[in-house]
Amino acid sequence: MAANLEFQRVNEWSWLRGFANLFRKENRAWWGTRRWWINALIWPLMLGGLVANMMFVPTIANLASAEDVASAGGITAYVIMLGISVFFEFGIQAIGIGAVILCQDLLVDERQSGVAEWLLTKPVTRRAYVLAKLLTNVVFIFLFLIVVPSIVIYGLFYLRAGEAYSWQPFLSGVGIMALHTLFYITLAVMLGAFTNSRLPVLGITLGSLLGGGIIGSFVKPALYVTPWMLSKMASLVVSGQPVPDGLFWSPIVATALWCVVFVILAFVKFEKVEF
Amino acid sequence: MARSNENVILTTGLSKSFGDVQALQSVDLSVPRNSIFGFLGPNGAGKTTLMKILLGLVRPTGGGGTIFGHDIVRESVAIRERIGYLPQQPRFIEYMTARENLRFAARFFFSGPQAKIDQRCDEMLELVGLQEKADRPIKGFSGGEKQRLGIALAQVNYPDLLILDEPASALDPLGRQEVLNVMERLRKHTTIFYSTHILDDVQHVSDTVAILNHGRLVACGPIEQILNGKDGVVYSLAIKGTPERVAERLASLEWVTHTSKARHNGTTTWLVSVNNEEAAEAQLLRYVLADTQVTVTSFNRKKYELEEVFMDIVKGDADGR
Repeated sequence: MAANLEFQRVNEWSWLRGFANLFRKENRAWWGTRRWWINALIWPLMLGGLVANMMFVPTIANLASAEDVASAGGITAYVIMLGISVFFEFGIQAIGIGAVILCQDLLVDERQSGVAEWLLTKPVTRRAYVLAKLLTNVVFIFLFLIVVPSIVIYGLFYLRAGEAYSWQPFLSGVGIMALHTLFYITLAVMLGAFTNSRLPVLGITLGSLLGGGIIGSFVKPALYVTPWMLSKMASLVVSGQPVPDGLFWSPIVATALWCVVFVILAFVKFEKVEF
Repeated sequence: MARSNENVILTTGLSKSFGDVQALQSVDLSVPRNSIFGFLGPNGAGKTTLMKILLGLVRPTGGGGTIFGHDIVRESVAIRERIGYLPQQPRFIEYMTARENLRFAARFFFSGPQAKIDQRCDEMLELVGLQEKADRPIKGFSGGEKQRLGIALAQVNYPDLLILDEPASALDPLGRQEVLNVMERLRKHTTIFYSTHILDDVQHVSDTVAILNHGRLVACGPIEQILNGKDGVVYSLAIKGTPERVAERLASLEWVTHTSKARHNGTTTWLVSVNNEEAAEAQLLRYVLADTQVTVTSFNRKKYELEEVFMDIVKGDADGR
């Protein structure tokens, strides 16, 4: 049609055809709805509140034995250790649960509602569809569930200690937290490609998050090839304590590999889904 | 024009099974360019499955096909560049307004200029009469409004082929008429392949028809050909008097294939099936009038209604199974 000639056609890499538009749509699903500010408020408030409670409420510090305080290097160092433990051990689990809840229906919701079917009748590759959802949500979850709360927690450490906490171990801990969260995001997305129901997605991801540590305590080798040790490891790294032999790189590399495997499986499986 | 004779959709032996259920059985379909192709069949006949295969949403288990010469399995994205699709129940991005949905759909095809994209969205909103509600959230839309927006979305990219799955089924008579009018207007620009249960609509707008039953294509062709029924050309005569002698004479003619009659209130209604339309038009009435014992009160070529043909074909197919 002549009118058609007046337009500039979309010129994209054919392997990821449709990605740019889908990525914009997924961004809009965050910025264009209340999702972003709810998460931007909840996580810093919840995690910051818990850490502040540990560090600034005198009764918590008063519960500590003199021996513990002495071994930490004083009351300030002790409460900061408590803060580290809360943020990097409890927080990492809470952020994992948050990521799973946000991602459990990334594919399932649009598959059930028929929106995915409609979108895939446009010039869109299925890889682009999955990748747009994955990347957008990784970016926003990292931003609102990890980066913003981490800045708040770092600020609280500064306020309590009166000086900046050593940033390298803190950043390493945040990096481990990000890897742990990425594992659960990619796992949820992969499961969403395999099933059309939220229940298995929630069951398997939350089962791993909440039950992984228990399995690891019985089957020690599992700790080397899963993210189940990462929360404890992040806490140890940030507080400058030694990590048990072989329990640093092995779970980190294994978790990173799992993330890659989950993304590949999500691509392969979603390519075969019929609507 | 050579181009208008080309087939836009061509399938050969297209089959699909879901476990033991054979949804499509070796379907050979050809849809001519710029046709309004009505795709009929009872519920569960396999219409939606075939449309989904054409759109790359479902993979065939046998056979294959092309759209615009592109393979429907291997070159699905290239095909979808030139297609507009309206699903049976249109779906939208709920947190976007009608205009935003249109812009979003257009952005799969066009990167700019933005002013032209916006203009196209406005044209589509006007076409389906949704200008007033363009900036309202989709959540408040009625079923008919959603259907109209779905049609606008399907056309936003100037598609060379529109695939519409039951486009008018959820609409009231007025809405249905609007959809048919839109289809008529688009005929010169695009090929329309649509499924429906509303046979009256098909008879009004379609130029080509296919009937699918139990996953098999049981009839396909120009609407005039389909409306002739499976008995071919049939003439109907209303006769007063005693037609026995003329009946014997007609039966001996080589272009008459079958005759049947029914008597009512002294008038005999006579159906004469022929295999030579020209000979019948020139001679049939003369033969009958040559007999002085009969008076012909009416003579015409029998026109079937699509519903009659559809029921006949579908029932006949069921009996033959």
